[in-house]
Amino acid sequence: MTAPLLQIDGVTIDYNTKKGNLHALRDISFDVNKGEIVGIVGESGCGKSTLISTILQLLPQNAEWKKGAINFKGKNLITSSEKEMRDMRGKDISVIFQDPMQSLNPVITIGRQMVDIQHRSTSPYAEKWQKAIEMLSMVGIADAETRLKQHPFEFSGGMLQRIAIAMALMSMPDLLIADEPTTALDATLEVEIIKRLKDLHKEMGCSILFISHHLGVIAELCQRVVVMYAGSVVEFGTVDEIFFNPKHPYTRRLIECDPGHIKERAKRLPTIPGEIPDLTEALEGCIFQERCSESIAKCKTATPPLVSLGQNHQAACWLNHNQEPE
Amino acid sequence: MSDPITDKETKVKMSDHHQSELLKIVGGVAKNPLGLIGLIIVGVFVFCALFAVWIVPHDPVGMNIKDRLQGPSTTYFLGTDQLGRDTFSRLIMGSQVALKVALPAVFGAMFIGLTLGMIAGYGPRWLDNFLSLVFDTIRSFPTVMFALAVVALVGPSLQTIIFVVMATSIPIYGRVARTQTLALRNSEFILAERSMGASLFRILGIHMMPNIIGVLSVLAAMDIPTVIALEAGLSFLGLGVKPPTPSWGSLLKDGYALIRQTPWLIVAGGLPIIIATLGFTFLGETLRDVVDPRLRKTR
Amino acid sequence: MITYTIRRLALAALILFVAVTAMFLMIRAVPGDPVKIMLGPRATPELQASLTAALGLDQPIWKQLMIFYSKMMQGDLGVDVFSGRSVTHIVMQQLPYTLELIFASIIWSALLGVIFGAYAAANPNTLWDRMIAFISVSFIAAPAFVIALLSLLVFAVQLRWFPAIGVGEGFWSRVHHVALPAFAIGLSWVGYIARLVRASMLEVLGEHHIRTARAFGLSERRIIMVYALRIAILPVITVIGVGMGFLLSAAVFAEIVFARPGLGKLVIDSITTRNYPVVMGAVLVSTGLFVLSTAISDIVNAWLDPRSRQSL
Repeated sequence: MTAPLLQIDGVTIDYNTKKGNLHALRDISFDVNKGEIVGIVGESGCGKSTLISTILQLLPQNAEWKKGAINFKGKNLITSSEKEMRDMRGKDISVIFQDPMQSLNPVITIGRQMVDIQHRSTSPYAEKWQKAIEMLSMVGIADAETRLKQHPFEFSGGMLQRIAIAMALMSMPDLLIADEPTTALDATLEVEIIKRLKDLHKEMGCSILFISHHLGVIAELCQRVVVMYAGSVVEFGTVDEIFFNPKHPYTRRLIECDPGHIKERAKRLPTIPGEIPDLTEALEGCIFQERCSESIAKCKTATPPLVSLGQNHQAACWLNHNQEPE
Repeated sequence: MSDPITDKETKVKMSDHHQSELLKIVGGVAKNPLGLIGLIIVGVFVFCALFAVWIVPHDPVGMNIKDRLQGPSTTYFLGTDQLGRDTFSRLIMGSQVALKVALPAVFGAMFIGLTLGMIAGYGPRWLDNFLSLVFDTIRSFPTVMFALAVVALVGPSLQTIIFVVMATSIPIYGRVARTQTLALRNSEFILAERSMGASLFRILGIHMMPNIIGVLSVLAAMDIPTVIALEAGLSFLGLGVKPPTPSWGSLLKDGYALIRQTPWLIVAGGLPIIIATLGFTFLGETLRDVVDPRLRKTR
Repeated sequence: MITYTIRRLALAALILFVAVTAMFLMIRAVPGDPVKIMLGPRATPELQASLTAALGLDQPIWKQLMIFYSKMMQGDLGVDVFSGRSVTHIVMQQLPYTLELIFASIIWSALLGVIFGAYAAANPNTLWDRMIAFISVSFIAAPAFVIALLSLLVFAVQLRWFPAIGVGEGFWSRVHHVALPAFAIGLSWVGYIARLVRASMLEVLGEHHIRTARAFGLSERRIIMVYALRIAILPVITVIGVGMGFLLSAAVFAEIVFARPGLGKLVIDSITTRNYPVVMGAVLVSTGLFVLSTAISDIVNAWLDPRSRQSL
């Protein structure tokens, strides 16, 4: 079996804040194989942004690496130099951000920006411009020639996100990180973007790390899913396993609460009561324990490890330990 | 049923509230080291200006030819000028002139600018356009040029300077007051007031003004040094206060004429201007840091 | 872009028009006979009569205004009371010296200010940053003409490093002569611009598109100098345009202090000799300069930042 493209192993990151050390990521472990689409599900504050910043090594100054490694094509990104990282950003690893209206420089034309990100290539300007036109056509933007001379504020959100996808895929990256690319768009646009991503994925064969809190999209697009809660991975497995055989109470609750999942009409939509715990405090036991309706005594005192429950399915819950295969 | 706004008790509570707000702001400024320095400098300046007549060691105006052009000594801290007058005493007296010009000019401009600005922001569109055009026109004259033109026509005097300085400052306050009024005009609490039938005067005077005053006070603190410099500049050119009244500007004028004989006159004229400007600037900056977040909180 | 330019220039013309009218009315509003004021003590009845006719003062006010406008459009600002030379000619002769001083001041202070500000923003909260911040606040505080006098005292009179008087002949001599006055005028600006650039850059660097640029591996240098600075510099351009008024005022003092020819010296001398047409002419020209510079800076701003083209 070939080694995974991206291997995140026990990554722990703290932020030094005025209120103390914020434990943003704790022992994050999962991997992404070549050509695979892996989804990350989790609510706000679960550490998704920190994870992306860690992979790209673009963490703010007050972030502190505590332990863990991120292996990408055999190299540990955490110990790589800034120059090595810069070589990879936008080339081997690309990102699509959440807010298309804010992610592009407002005073520079789209064309100029698309040429700029080809800064590693030694081709002449005209060739780079041509490539930009091709990429725009590929994502379905008509009249690419004229459009390239325009500025971001002249485009709609949906078009900007397509441009962002074009920019990200321009260098044919091995790994594409999509940070909630459809959250800022309305439902019809979302469908369109997802379809486009799927088609492009088939064409290019890159791996995608797709972050979203929209379960329907995850189910549609991804092959494997990572469920994150408050800085930890609570479950990790194939799409089928996660959705049809969830092994963590949080995952179960997420599925139950998903509006797309609800079959009966009800006056109130189900929610998970409570809030994410304060990550600056010392954490004992299971991170989800306070809000969990199925917790047992052990959950308060001991942190459940991420254990394998069969091929390609891992979960961190004490409840599974009675059923653990030997 | 008593109207909570006209109720006397509420009025008293409100003025108490304003007073404690003021104390809180002053306290906030004093906590900041730069702000504290600013407060001290401004305090010294105001003290000198108010009590100049009593604290000057020698007569700043009387001629004393036999002691002319002396260097600094224990009798004359900064030496004497070409007419034998004690430079240090003239320096202290100069603060009085500076304040005499700055205070009426700035407060006059602030008052007029505030009124006009509020009218522009709150009134009908045509009035707003007209007033804005007036503001922009006044602002389109380079300040000193405008001052010189007026002085050329009317002749130099204390009143002329105050008028000129006030006229050039009004647009600054006017524009800011206008912007604030426009912003507040559609805010919820004003809409609530209007729906309760509050009169124009009440809305402008009691509700909008306190919000705007904060911002304007910061502007005023930053404006005073400009005004002081303008008065000094005009006096330096011989177009300001008439001799023998000592102004920092006239000290500079004499110093310039005597630059090869003694450096002390220029120092005596220039240093207080710089220190006063620093003081008011520190004060203004800190005031802005303190007032701004408070304003944001009330929105 | 073209539409914006036209609209902006039209606004400038309107403001100038109103300013000129205001100036005219101001002159007329002065109590007393303007002719007597102008001619001063040398007023003989014949001179008075001829000047009154020449100025058209025997005509109704609105006609005077029309004559004034038409003369202005033709570039005729009247004649010097003593020599009879055209005021326009006199003013235009002195203008280049003032412009030389102003540009020298802007160039050095803007350059230094942008460099300091960008450096401070790229390295926030370091010792350098705090030092730059403190220096900036202090520099802003000193009024230009006081600095001019002090630098004259120290650098020209006491240390004799720079000439105290005049403009100089030949390129390097002119630079040497303009150095100290330009220094005095520009000093407060360095601080002001540095603070503006720093604040502006910090704001821009926090925005999401900078994060995108980094995620695509663009070099930090390119990010700061092209992506961030281009946006951060916009307020500076506006400030310089509006600052022309301040610069003109400061130039007046600098010219007096350093005995340089220019608009400032012209105005002061004319005031002392009660040569009102020259005074008014010089004030009008400098106002026109100011209005033009604000218009130009708005136009440049619109060119660099396409978003602001909608605002007129």
